[in-house]
Amino acid sequence: MRDRALHKGAVRSSAEALAAAKLAGRTGRRFWRALEELTDAPAFRRALEAEFPNAFAGVTEAGRREVLKAMGASLAFAGLAGCTAAPHPDALPYVTQPGDLVLGTPKTYATAVVFGGYAQPVLGLTHEGRPTKLEGLPEHPASQGATDAFTQAALLGLYDPDRSKAPRFMGRPTDWSGFDAAMVENAERLDATRGEGLRLLTGAVSSPTFARQLAELMQRWPLARWHVFEPVNQDLRLEATRLAFGRPLEIQPRFEACRAIVSFDDDFLGPGAWQTRNARAWSQARRAFQGGRGEARLMVAEPAPSLAGAMAAERLIASADEVEIMVQALAGRLGAGPAPQLRLTPRQAQWVEAAAQALQRNPGAGLVLAGAHCDPAVQALALQLNERIGAIGKTLGFCAPILLQPPDGTRSFEALAADLAAGRVDTLAILEANPVYAAPADLDFPAAMQKARLRIHAGLHFDETAAACHWHAPLEHALETWDDARAVDGRTSLIQPLVRPFYAVRARSVFLQNLQGRLGGDPRAILLATWADRLGGEADPRWRETLARGFVDEPAPPQTPGAAGAPAVRLRRRGGGITVLIRPDPTIWDGRFGDNPWLQELPKPFNKLTWDNAVLVAPALAAQLDLKNGDHVRLSAGGRAIEGPAWLTPGLERRTVVVHLGYGRSLPGQLADGRGYDAYPLRTSAAPWRVEGAAAAKTGGKTELASTQLYTALQGFDFVRTAPVAAAQPGPPHPPPPSFYPPRLSGSPQWGMAIDTDTCIGCNACVTACDAENNVPMTGKSQVANGREMHWLRIDAYYEGSPDDPAFFNQPVPCMHCEQAPCEMGCPVNASVHTHDGLNMQVYNRCIGTRTCSSFCPYKVRHFNWFDYTLHDPPELRAARNPEVTVRSRGIMEKCTYCVQRIEKARIQADVENRPIRDGEVVTACQQACPTEAIVFGDVSDPESRVSKLKAQQRNYSLLEEVNTRPRTTYLARIDDGATHD
Amino acid sequence: MAQIFKPSADTWLRLTVLAVFVAVLGGGLLGSGFARSAYLTRVGWPVEQPVPFSHAHHAGELGIDCRYCHADVERGRYAGLPASHVCMTCHSQLWTGAPMLAPERASFAEDKPLAWKRVSALPGYVYFDHHIHIARGIACVECHGRIDTMPLTWRAHPFQMRFCIDCHRNPAPHLRPPDQVTRMDWSGWDKVPAHRTYGQQAMKRFHIDPVRLTDCDVCHR
Repeated sequence: MRDRALHKGAVRSSAEALAAAKLAGRTGRRFWRALEELTDAPAFRRALEAEFPNAFAGVTEAGRREVLKAMGASLAFAGLAGCTAAPHPDALPYVTQPGDLVLGTPKTYATAVVFGGYAQPVLGLTHEGRPTKLEGLPEHPASQGATDAFTQAALLGLYDPDRSKAPRFMGRPTDWSGFDAAMVENAERLDATRGEGLRLLTGAVSSPTFARQLAELMQRWPLARWHVFEPVNQDLRLEATRLAFGRPLEIQPRFEACRAIVSFDDDFLGPGAWQTRNARAWSQARRAFQGGRGEARLMVAEPAPSLAGAMAAERLIASADEVEIMVQALAGRLGAGPAPQLRLTPRQAQWVEAAAQALQRNPGAGLVLAGAHCDPAVQALALQLNERIGAIGKTLGFCAPILLQPPDGTRSFEALAADLAAGRVDTLAILEANPVYAAPADLDFPAAMQKARLRIHAGLHFDETAAACHWHAPLEHALETWDDARAVDGRTSLIQPLVRPFYAVRARSVFLQNLQGRLGGDPRAILLATWADRLGGEADPRWRETLARGFVDEPAPPQTPGAAGAPAVRLRRRGGGITVLIRPDPTIWDGRFGDNPWLQELPKPFNKLTWDNAVLVAPALAAQLDLKNGDHVRLSAGGRAIEGPAWLTPGLERRTVVVHLGYGRSLPGQLADGRGYDAYPLRTSAAPWRVEGAAAAKTGGKTELASTQLYTALQGFDFVRTAPVAAAQPGPPHPPPPSFYPPRLSGSPQWGMAIDTDTCIGCNACVTACDAENNVPMTGKSQVANGREMHWLRIDAYYEGSPDDPAFFNQPVPCMHCEQAPCEMGCPVNASVHTHDGLNMQVYNRCIGTRTCSSFCPYKVRHFNWFDYTLHDPPELRAARNPEVTVRSRGIMEKCTYCVQRIEKARIQADVENRPIRDGEVVTACQQACPTEAIVFGDVSDPESRVSKLKAQQRNYSLLEEVNTRPRTTYLARIDDGATHD
Repeated sequence: MAQIFKPSADTWLRLTVLAVFVAVLGGGLLGSGFARSAYLTRVGWPVEQPVPFSHAHHAGELGIDCRYCHADVERGRYAGLPASHVCMTCHSQLWTGAPMLAPERASFAEDKPLAWKRVSALPGYVYFDHHIHIARGIACVECHGRIDTMPLTWRAHPFQMRFCIDCHRNPAPHLRPPDQVTRMDWSGWDKVPAHRTYGQQAMKRFHIDPVRLTDCDVCHR
C-alpha cells in the first residue's frame, strides 16, 4: 500500500521531467495536443487506442443474462416497427396565406441581435414564420456577413425553455394587470416627488430609442437618475482616452490596413462584440501578406493564452505588470515617452526591439494595442505610441462612445450602490442587468438593494436579481421585438421581429412606458416615433428601405483627437503571491449565456472544456502546488476566496492564474444552475480584472471536467504544418500516391473544401453555426465526459514546443469526405455511401448502428447517437430545428454532410434554371459564419473555382496523407513568419 | 444402455426442420406481402376529411386547374393545400349554406386552420421537391393518379422507396412536356410516334443523369 502511494507520488513529480525528456529526444518538429500526451498518461492512451473510450459507461448495469435476453427480444421485435400502416398526418393550411410566402422556402429578414449593448447585424431565416437560423448580414460593413458563436447561438435564446414566460410578483407568477396597476400607482407617487428616488439600472445600451425614451422620462421626473451595470465593460478603455485626449472616445482600429500589430495583452481576435469585425479585417491584411503584398506581423505580449496570442508570429509570455512595463519600454524606444530605467529580461528586451523594428518598418501601417483591462495610464501611453508611429487616422480611428454613457460615467454603478446603501433610493428599476449575481464583491449590492422600497426587474430570465425584486417583468427576445441598437462601427441596426412573441412578454420600450404609468404600448410605434424625422413614417420608402436593409448606413462620425498626452505611468512591480486574472468566459461570457446549451457544450478555446469553468494554472505552478486537472484550488486575496477545479494550461505565465466569470449560478430548475464555480466574489470595483498578491492552495476536492481535447486525438503524423510565405503561391500539381482501389469519381461538380489554418483563429463560430444548421444534438456534461459529444465540426488545438511556452495551432476538422473512404468499406448495410459529386453520405434510414464506420474512420469525425438525445426536447426547442435536415434518432451514426441540404437546394435551383451551379452558390454553414473566411467550399473539378485555386497552393496538404484516403477537405499550412518555433 | 431416441425421432427431426423452413419462408412471404398490401401502403383507401372534398367534381367536372389550389407547386418544395381563403373565393358565393361546408366557413370566420389529413405524406427523412419535378415535366398523374376521378381522395400509388427509385432509374417514359403537367389523361400520348422519343430528348435537353438521380443524397439528408 505504502509502496504504491510512494510510486504514485513519484510519477506525478516526474511528469514534468518526462515531458521534457520526450521533447528533448526529438530532433524534428513535434506537435502535441495535451499535456497528457507528453507525459503519456493512461487517459491519453485510452483515448487514442479505443474508438469509444467509455463505450459502456451508463449504458447498462445489467448482468450477462439480462443483456442476452434484451438482445434476443430486440432481434425478435426488430421487424415489428414496420407493421404500422402509413399514417395520414394532419396538414394545416393557412387561413390566408401571405402572398409572398412559398411553403418550404425560407424567408429572410434583416435584423439584429444585441450583445453587450452592441447590435450584431443578422439575416434571420424563417421557415413558415419560425426562425431557424441566423446568418451575418452580408451588406453590413462591420461584419460583412460573418458572425461569432454568440450571435449564432442567440437563436436558441429565443426558444430557451428557461425563459421567463409571465410577470411575477414576489416570485409568484401573476398577470400584467397587477403589474400595470402597481406601475400607475407608483408613477403618481413619483410625479409628486418629481422622480426623486427613482433609479433606473440597465445593462450597456446603445439604442437611440432608449435614449429618446430616457430623455422623456428625465423630463417628466428630473430628479430620477440612470445607471449602467455591465460586468464586462470597456470602462478602462474610455478612461484611457479621457486621460490621453481629455474626452472619452471609442477606438476604431482598422486592422485591414495594419502591416504590423503590437498587442500588449489585447485579445482583439477573442470573443466579444468586436470579434467579427476585427477578425474579418485582420484576415484581409493577412491574406494580402499571403499574396506577397507586405507584412502582417503580429506581436503579442500577454500573461495568458488568447486567440490573438495564438496567431502571433512572436508571442511573449509576461506577467500583467511586466506587460505594462514593456509598454513603457517600447514607448521609450520609439521616443514617445520618457525612457525610465526599466529592468527587462533579455527575452523581453529582444521582443521590444523586434516590435519597435516592425513598427518602424511599416510607417503608417503599424498599430499598438493595450488590453481593455490594462491600467488606463498604460493604455493612454499606448495611444501616445500610436500617435508617435503615425497610426492615428490611418490604422486607428476614434469615434464618440457608441454605447450611451450614464451621467456618472464609468463610476455609475458605484454611485448607485452608495445611494442604495445610504437609503436614497425609493424605486429601483433594473432592466436587463443582473447585479445580484455579478456586482463587484466589495459593494455588497444584494444587501444594499434591499433598502429600496420598490424593486422592479425586467429581463428575459427570472434570475438572481429578479428573485430579489418585488416585481419581475419578462421581456421580449431581440428576434421577437421592435427596437434599435448600434453596431460596433456605429451604424444603427433596426431590429424587427422574425416572429410574434410566444409568451406574455413585453418589449423593453413598452416596459419603459409602463414604468411611467402609461398602459400598453406598441413597440413598433415607439420605434417609428424615434425615426419619424429621419426616415419618415411607416409608408415612407426611406423607412421601408432601411428596414429591408436592416441598418441605417451611417457609421459613427470619426473624431480627430488632439495631441495625446499621457500621464506618468506608475510602475507597479508585483509583490509576492499569485496574480489572478478575471476574464469573461469564452462561451458563457459574464453568465448571460449560461442557459444556452449550444454555448455550454461548445468546447472552449485551447482546453476544450465544456459545461464548466476552471481555474487555469501553468504546468509549473501546478507542479509546485501538486495540482492535476480537476483538483480544487482555493484562491484567496483581500479576505475573499473562491474555489474551483484547476486546469493545467500550457503557455500561461507561471505565477498567473486565470478565472472565468459566468458560472456558479443559483437558478433553481434552470440549465445554468450549479455549474462550475463563481469567480465574481474575487472581483472588486477597484480591481475588476486583476487581483495581485493572491494565495493559491490545493483543497483536496476534485471535479471531473469534461474536455473534448483528448477524445478525438489522432494517431499519425503532420496534422498541422507550417510553410514559408512563398508556399502560398500555386505550385505544380501534386498527384496522390497510387491506390489499389479504382478511381470512381468523375464529372462536375465535385465538391471539396479548403481550410486555411493560417487565418483560422479558433473562434468557434463555425462549430455553433454547424450545430444550428444541422440540428446537432447537445448531450450534456456526463456524455461529453464519456467522449460522446456530437459536434460535426471540431477545432483541434495543437501545441508545439515546451509546455511552458508553446506555439498554438488551430485546426477545424469536419468530415474529410475521402474519395477512398474507409468508413464506406466498413459499413455492413451500405449506409455509408459515396455520391457521384464526391460526398460521403450517411444514410440514416439505412444505418443500424454497428459503429464499424467510426472505428474505420482515421479522422474520428463520426458521432454515434448513444441515446435519443432529442426525445425529451420541449416543443419550443423542436421549433428551433432546421426542417431541411433529419433529426437523428438513437442508434444512428452521423457526421458532417458538407451541408448537403444547401447543395441540394442550389442544385434544384440550377436545374430549374437549366444551368450549372455557380461558384460560390453553395456556401456551407461553417464557411458562411467564419469571420476570417478561412473555410472555402466549392467545386474542385473546376480549376477556376475559389477552392481549386486555394488547393493549388503549395502549402495545401491533406490530413493523414500517408493512409491515402484522398480527402476532399484539405488544409493550407500556417505561414511561418516568426521566431515562435525556435 | 437403452436407446435414447426412438426410431421415429428421425422423422420428427425431419418434420421439424421442414416446419421451420416452411415457417421462415412462409413468414417471409407473408411479411413481404403484407408490406406491399394496400392495408399498409393505403393505396386506394379513401381518407376521411373534415370536409368531404371531391376532386372528381372540382378538377374533373368543373375543370379547375390543380394550381388554383396547390399554388406553390411550381415554386417550392410543397404543393401546399389551399388556404381557407382560397376555398372561400368561390364558396362565399356558391353553396353558402351547405352544411357540408360548415367547418370551412368556421375556419375562415374564426381564423383557425382546417385540419386536413395528408393523403400523400412521405416519411420525415425523405425530402421531396415538387418544384423540380414540375419543371422537368413529371405530370401530377404520375404520382397522384387520376385524381380527377376520385370523389374522395385516396393514395394512388404506394409511396415506398421502390416507387420513387423506379422512376429515378429510368425517368424517360415518365417525362412529359412541362407545360402540360396538370393534364390527367395521357392515354393517347404514346400513339403519336414523335412522342415516343420525347423522354430521351428531354433527358438530353435537361441533362438528366439517372446515375446522379439515384445518389442517396438526392432524397435523404
